[in-house]
Amino acid sequence: MNIDRTEVVEDLNRLMAEELEAFLRYFQMHYRLRGVERLAADKLFEEGTRETLEHAEMIAKQIRALGHIPEIKIDLELKGGPTNLQDALAEMLEVERQALDAYKEVLPRVTGDTMLEDFIRKQISVETEHVQEIATLLE
Amino acid sequence: METWKEFEANELTHSAAHHLIAIYEVGLEYGGWARVSDIARQLDITRGSVSINLRALKKRGWVDTDEHHMVKLSPKGQKAVQAVMAKKAVVKTFLSNVLNVPEAQAEIDSCKVEHLISQPTGEQLVHFMRFLVSEDPLAKQVLARFKNFHDQCPDSKTCEVCHGHCLIEELQHAGL
Repeated sequence: MNIDRTEVVEDLNRLMAEELEAFLRYFQMHYRLRGVERLAADKLFEEGTRETLEHAEMIAKQIRALGHIPEIKIDLELKGGPTNLQDALAEMLEVERQALDAYKEVLPRVTGDTMLEDFIRKQISVETEHVQEIATLLE
Repeated sequence: METWKEFEANELTHSAAHHLIAIYEVGLEYGGWARVSDIARQLDITRGSVSINLRALKKRGWVDTDEHHMVKLSPKGQKAVQAVMAKKAVVKTFLSNVLNVPEAQAEIDSCKVEHLISQPTGEQLVHFMRFLVSEDPLAKQVLARFKNFHDQCPDSKTCEVCHGHCLIEELQHAGL
């Protein structure tokens, strides 16, 4: 199956924006957390920022492999006062769910391209795991 | 409350207004329901942002969601969208038809204030517009004479409008 490369690059740029925005959200959220729970959440948010940045980089490499340069378009202002772990996790779950849905949406458009399909499937698997983990923490 | 702080206290922010309008527009084809991905495309922002912003809109009772994460305007949200769209329409008409502001600029400026002006101001503007387009000969005269009015500032730079500071000069100087 022939894939529309321009469309796929647009999709990948959008996915990269989701990941970079998630990175910024987790980064800021980390410093909004208050109370003793903050200590427990430190590792989770550190992992969150590291992984989202890694994912963005992986996507950028895919874009480069397609002969394009990644384009970043993020319209974001992060404010908000102190927050607790429950609310922070609820927001994290929302962001992860959207990332998962975004990868799922792209999958049919890359089906047939072994490398891209494999990449998107792996991301779906990773994001599904994240969603499940966070949902479990919120139970 | 000090007047300038009312901007911050406005319940419906610019972002919220645009989210509600996007839900309305996307939902037109699907019985009012909209997907987060379509709202994100309409607003040219990420799905993550839409999703987080929707939480605030839901908390304020402007939108409803279903178990498939589809979004719909609540009755309160529908009223807010109608009010915003009405204000935008009347401001845009006023800017382009009365003040002769070019269409594109009228679109931008009306978009900037659509959610900020109060209901009484919006209503008065509608009444004023209706007067201007009425059969009243004076209204027609006012419109026609304004179109041909070539404003010239007095040498003193002081008039009934400017009270010592030439507003035209200040606007031109700022260039914003």
